[in-house]
Amino acid sequence: MQFDPDINCPYASGTTAYGDVVLSSRARLARNLEGFPFVNRATTGDCEEVELLLAPACNSNHELTLEWVDLHKLSTIERWMCAERHLISTHFADATHPRGVMVDPELSRSVMINEEDHLRIQSIKPGLDLLNAHKDVIAIDQRMEELVAYAFDDQLGFLTACPTNVGTGARFSVMMHLPALRITKGFRKLYNACEGMSIAIRGYHGEGSETIADLYQLSNQVTLGYNEEDLRSMLEDEFLPTVIENERNARMTIIQQHGAKLDDRVFRAQGILENAGLLPLEEAMDCLGRVRLGVSLERITNVNINTINQLFIDIQQGHLQWRFGDDLNESQLQEKRAALVKEKLAA
Amino acid sequence: MNTCDHCDRPAIYHDTRVLQGVTKTVSLCEDHARECGIDIGPDGISISLNPEMMGFSFTPSVNTCPDCGMTLAIYKEKALLGCPECYVTFKEKLLPVIANLHEKHSQHVGRSPRRASADIDRHIAIRRLLSELERAVTQEAYEEAADIRDTLRELHKKDDDNAV
Repeated sequence: MQFDPDINCPYASGTTAYGDVVLSSRARLARNLEGFPFVNRATTGDCEEVELLLAPACNSNHELTLEWVDLHKLSTIERWMCAERHLISTHFADATHPRGVMVDPELSRSVMINEEDHLRIQSIKPGLDLLNAHKDVIAIDQRMEELVAYAFDDQLGFLTACPTNVGTGARFSVMMHLPALRITKGFRKLYNACEGMSIAIRGYHGEGSETIADLYQLSNQVTLGYNEEDLRSMLEDEFLPTVIENERNARMTIIQQHGAKLDDRVFRAQGILENAGLLPLEEAMDCLGRVRLGVSLERITNVNINTINQLFIDIQQGHLQWRFGDDLNESQLQEKRAALVKEKLAA
Repeated sequence: MNTCDHCDRPAIYHDTRVLQGVTKTVSLCEDHARECGIDIGPDGISISLNPEMMGFSFTPSVNTCPDCGMTLAIYKEKALLGCPECYVTFKEKLLPVIANLHEKHSQHVGRSPRRASADIDRHIAIRRLLSELERAVTQEAYEEAADIRDTLRELHKKDDDNAV
């Protein structure tokens, strides 16, 4: 697998219709093999057999090109990079049992083998594009089904290790930048609306994670009782347009009522990013979030929104160590992070 | 006298098994034994057990999954089930939980898998060989273990040949 952090950023949403609010869209299917224990009860032999059964999906003669990557053969930094690009989960990156990931050349589609479920098929698209992400995972799903029989129950659908995923096994999620809703205290309304529609709202790294840079993941909570297309449409066509509109309206309200305060927040953050000698990750993310708001409201005009989007990933520890060496201590990491941000913002 | 696991009638059949390290004794009356595939003819009991049927038949009274050894206590702690069979074993307890998680829905809607029976048979064959391999290694029967490994390799070689 060849990483080139400068191309194919999953957050390259700058030119998309809702790119000011939505960074990326992800569709994911959870699948398990009939006759095998789920990964949490599987032996090493079970996990290896599951890998062997699925490995032919990476044969080069198929129109869907996937490369098999054995996680044991990746360095810690490469595993972190995969997690930072959301190709794999952080839990999966740090596990020790036999496991692998199939990835396409654009690094946008991946299949985790032996994660919580035997297969976690996913596709990430820049901007709001769950429709095409869904098409991608269906194609991969059908390819996998040529090789194995899935665990399925006529009543409960696709059987998964956690009952929260049972049924379609489909989870649709979007990464959103919602600074104005937070500033204007519109979040209570959003939380209530999410609850009413069974939509989960989580932090940057998903379940149980902290909010960073006003980035939030919104996803369907229910996977049983609706077909995949309905689940996608309820989120993408019915729910999210209102959230996007509310965020945009809140941004306008801030400009009209608190313009000076907004400029202070935005330019102060830009000043830190352009001048700091040391940048801790949290501070860098927070400042990037503020600058992103300034760019989307055209307060800052000399920075491309995709530069900010990509920096959200590039300043993570794995990506930094890949660029600058794996023997950096925290202080050196902060120094390299500050230098990288400075360089990218000046470009 | 022992009574049947499923009713108060006297048990005429007893079976003790070790499944995934858990010892389980089953006691059955004449009727419930028949339900589980035990043939009771005029000459006495002729056993032609179908283990899968046994596990399935005992579902209402077991707290341990016959396939993977998962218990309800472990499930409650980890919030993860151990295998597809757990959904059968714990169905009664799980259905209300699942309905609560999914807006009271309890019926799948949408795509179904192809599920060719040949694929399922192959999975079962591989799993059986893995169990035999584990036993052979535990018993230090290394020649037998090597034979089983060869058989497993052959199974996958056929997959690769078919895939190309």
